[in-house]
Amino acid sequence: MDVQYVFIEPWTTEFSNTIWIYLMGFFVASACGLVGNYLILRRMALVGDAISHSVLPGLAVAFLLSHSRQTWTMFLGAMLAGIVTTLLIEVIHSKSRVKQDAAIGIAFSSLFAIGVILISVFASKVDLDQECVLYGEIEYVASDLPVLIGSTVIGPAAVVRMAGVLLGTVILIVLFYKELLVSSFDKGLALSLGVNSTVVHYALMATLSIVVVSAFESVGAILVIAMLIIPGATAYLLTDRLPTMMVITVIHSALSALMGIHLARWWSNSATAGAMVVSASILFALAWVFSPRHGLIRRYLKVKVLTPEPESI
Amino acid sequence: MNFLPIHPPWSGRHIPRTLYVCVIAAVILFVFSCPSAMAARIGEISETNIGDQVYRFFTLQDPSVRYTIAGCILLGTCCGMLGSFIVVRKMALMGDALSHAVLPGVALGFLWTMEKNPLYIFVGATIAGLIGTATVSAIKRTTRLKEDTALGIVLASFYAVGICLLTYIQHLPTGNKSGIDKFLFGQAAAMGREDLILMAVVCVICLVMVYLFYKELLALSFDTAFARSLGLNVDLLHHMLMLLLSFAVVISLKAVGVVLVSAMLITPAATAYLLTERLSRMIGIAIVVGMVSGIAGAFFSFLGNNLPTGPFIVLAASLFFVGAFLFAPKHGVILRWWRTLNRRKRTIRENMLKSIYHVLEQRGFDAEGVSTRELAEQRRETVEDVEGTLRELNSHSLITRHEDGNITIFTPDGWQRAATIVRNHRLWELYLTNEASIAADHVHDDAEIIEHVLGEETVMELQKRLDYANLDPHGKHIPTREDIEQRGRHQKPGTLTSGYGGQV
Amino acid sequence: MATPLEIHDLTVSYDKKPVIWGVDLAVPEGKLVGIIGPNGAGKSTLIKAIMGHIPLSSGWVKIFGKPYSENRTRVGYVPQRESVDWDFPVTVMDVVLMGRYGRLGLFKRPKKSDREIARECLDKVKMLPFANRQIANLSGGQQQRVFLARALAQESDIYLMDEPFAGVDAATESAIVTLLQELKNRGKTLLVVHHDLSTAPGYFDMLLLLNMRVVAFGPTEQVFNAELLQKTYGGRLTILADVAEKIKQQR
Repeated sequence: MDVQYVFIEPWTTEFSNTIWIYLMGFFVASACGLVGNYLILRRMALVGDAISHSVLPGLAVAFLLSHSRQTWTMFLGAMLAGIVTTLLIEVIHSKSRVKQDAAIGIAFSSLFAIGVILISVFASKVDLDQECVLYGEIEYVASDLPVLIGSTVIGPAAVVRMAGVLLGTVILIVLFYKELLVSSFDKGLALSLGVNSTVVHYALMATLSIVVVSAFESVGAILVIAMLIIPGATAYLLTDRLPTMMVITVIHSALSALMGIHLARWWSNSATAGAMVVSASILFALAWVFSPRHGLIRRYLKVKVLTPEPESI
Repeated sequence: MNFLPIHPPWSGRHIPRTLYVCVIAAVILFVFSCPSAMAARIGEISETNIGDQVYRFFTLQDPSVRYTIAGCILLGTCCGMLGSFIVVRKMALMGDALSHAVLPGVALGFLWTMEKNPLYIFVGATIAGLIGTATVSAIKRTTRLKEDTALGIVLASFYAVGICLLTYIQHLPTGNKSGIDKFLFGQAAAMGREDLILMAVVCVICLVMVYLFYKELLALSFDTAFARSLGLNVDLLHHMLMLLLSFAVVISLKAVGVVLVSAMLITPAATAYLLTERLSRMIGIAIVVGMVSGIAGAFFSFLGNNLPTGPFIVLAASLFFVGAFLFAPKHGVILRWWRTLNRRKRTIRENMLKSIYHVLEQRGFDAEGVSTRELAEQRRETVEDVEGTLRELNSHSLITRHEDGNITIFTPDGWQRAATIVRNHRLWELYLTNEASIAADHVHDDAEIIEHVLGEETVMELQKRLDYANLDPHGKHIPTREDIEQRGRHQKPGTLTSGYGGQV
Repeated sequence: MATPLEIHDLTVSYDKKPVIWGVDLAVPEGKLVGIIGPNGAGKSTLIKAIMGHIPLSSGWVKIFGKPYSENRTRVGYVPQRESVDWDFPVTVMDVVLMGRYGRLGLFKRPKKSDREIARECLDKVKMLPFANRQIANLSGGQQQRVFLARALAQESDIYLMDEPFAGVDAATESAIVTLLQELKNRGKTLLVVHHDLSTAPGYFDMLLLLNMRVVAFGPTEQVFNAELLQKTYGGRLTILADVAEKIKQQR
């Protein structure tokens, strides 16, 4: 392994490139991870996976209708696709014997199939390469058009967009913290407090769709799916408090993005997105084994030395 | 709650259902044939016309077509069979997780020999799949993460490793990478002879295992705790099922691609789930649906140029599902809506019959005819609305109309029906007031729904409970069986000695 | 002063099947009312219907003369323990604070005064030492007390409780009863679904005997007798159940 190449050069000679890759990965992972926390707590992890697949037809349709790859049309297409998916899942499992897990599978695979067909059939008109959708091109994110305020360059368009989405997500979570908390924890209480759980659910799905699609454009589907679940799951193993979980999610994202860059350079200088996910998984595995409260080692020790918890009534 | 289609002792007649499925299949295939022509033209301009291409396909002239169809039949069998178990066990998305988790295995299998040897890829993928399911179980067992999260973690992380390996392969000097690409979206036309042999072997293994262990798998699926208490090795059975599932996933990869394999496991099985109450039949229907979808999908991707097969196969399966969802004989949405509509219409008709009876009763059953205006007053409706309902009653031979439709008279059938309804209504009101201690003024609305629902058995039970009373809470006479059955209308209800006696 | 809880001709269907028929009820203020009846009699359903969790097929509910939706904050709810995911990453204090959310607006955070109230409520149920513990690490009795503390924090005038004594150790049970008596003495109205016939007459001032419809409602001494209990538990209402089943199958 060429240490110089893998560890040093990214931050010295290629800094201007690396920093944008890093920030993009960090922003994507954070935004996905924060929303993903709620998916995990509401036991909807696979709905997140489903929506990250089913935004594809939304994108295809949006592109075909508007003939442009403008951000707002993409967001709109994705949001609609996300809401349609959620609706489909609801309709299938509430109006027939089919249970929710099968409903999720049917809904997203049908929509995804439609998306792939649209892209294949109208291949010449749709500028969505199948493989690009899957693993994206985070390595090229730096060469995206720069965004200017006045005459100062802030950064490549994709990164700025993602930063905006991340900011929006954080704001929404902070503003609606109570409502999200109550509707995730105790639906009965939510109802009696006047919190409309259905609205919260659809709003969460819409936010998810937007996060997913803005990440899609540069990093592809794998990173998105993974970052929805892995940071939150890791955090869940390390803490018992929700705010702490959010913080750990962000830290996890920062670390995975960093590790991912170096890992990718070591292997093949491509599939950086994949490398980031592998890093995230490694961090998860570490937490799984070594978590101070819930890790495997701790469990093993607990079994060996039975320590009864003092119970005072 | 009937979540598992176990054979109920009273079901039979499976032939019509299978026929039903075949008919749906034929219809959908036919419907599909027409728009497909358009789709093909958009993508590519081909010189041969569509008719020729269809002919070529169905006469199995091309070896690739033969392989494709054979492959689809095998795929449908395997996926339909194993998909049924995971749908019924509510672990449908395990298929999705597996299909993503096998990817690193596929890549490693390729790397082992540097060629697309199906056997090595198969072994690699299966091992990866098993490691994946084991990891899911381990996460569930040792942490507080729930099943869906565990599935998601395995799905995403293994998939990422797979993609990394695939990218690595793509950069290798040994070309041949295009074959691996097809694993993502499927290209059934690229199936070779070796692939088919592998698929056939795997299919046979799956069939044999499921056949041998059918009742154990049935017990496992229905009630795991109970199966354990019977002494069955539940864990071993589960792992065996997961192994077979991995097999099904791996052999479907080539045809349908990674992302859509889970659709082939879930959608045909879910379709079958809506059409039958027996697991064995469910498996059969799932297999048929899987096969037909496979062939249909292959057909449409064949028409176009370089179109992936996976999405078309999945779409075909989804259309079958939609068909079952809407039109299934017992549970279909459209059918239920239709039944509700009919029921509502029947209720309106019966309420009208009741009103005619009431008007006659108010007059002490002196005359037989009731005028439309009286009915409109009684029901507080407009004459037009009453007219409409009367016309319906007429067409059902429950009334006859005289003097240009102004006067209505019961037919014997109509009289019977009306008297029955009134009896049910009044019995129910009496029951609620006396037995259920519900205030008399609450009762009227409830009875409006119930009287149309009570069956003869319940009515007899009610009469017994109420000591065969004669009067309802409002003091009106409750029609007895003699009243209902009397054809000659010169007998006024209540004047016949019923032989019961007793009063409120 | 309006009646705390008034119900008229309440009919409720659960999953299309009628489970409660034509319930009339007027609960006076400052009473501790126990709801007893056999399994499947609709006791939990009644509570949920009062709060509008389930749509009503007929009838209405009034809280202090107004519909429930207008007087939500005056009703506190203690649900059954199974209804919640105990692995959720919240502490005991977080859960009790949720009881204050009804009084905060959409974007506001709990204030210091809210935290003070939460602490007081925790102290009342003797759970203050556990304030920072995650809820999974609690025993059944302790979890129940956290729920109670949350209901107390809601500072309501009416409390609806769904089997608060189920699966709870003896010490916790008597602690809860004492607390309920105290609330009653302060003028609160309490409606409690109870599962244990033997303790019912000892705990409650008034009893509602429910088996799909109201069998009897009144002071315990008048209502808790063999004849009425036989009517409630005796199974003479199979027709109601049968018809309910038929209606469900029709849909």
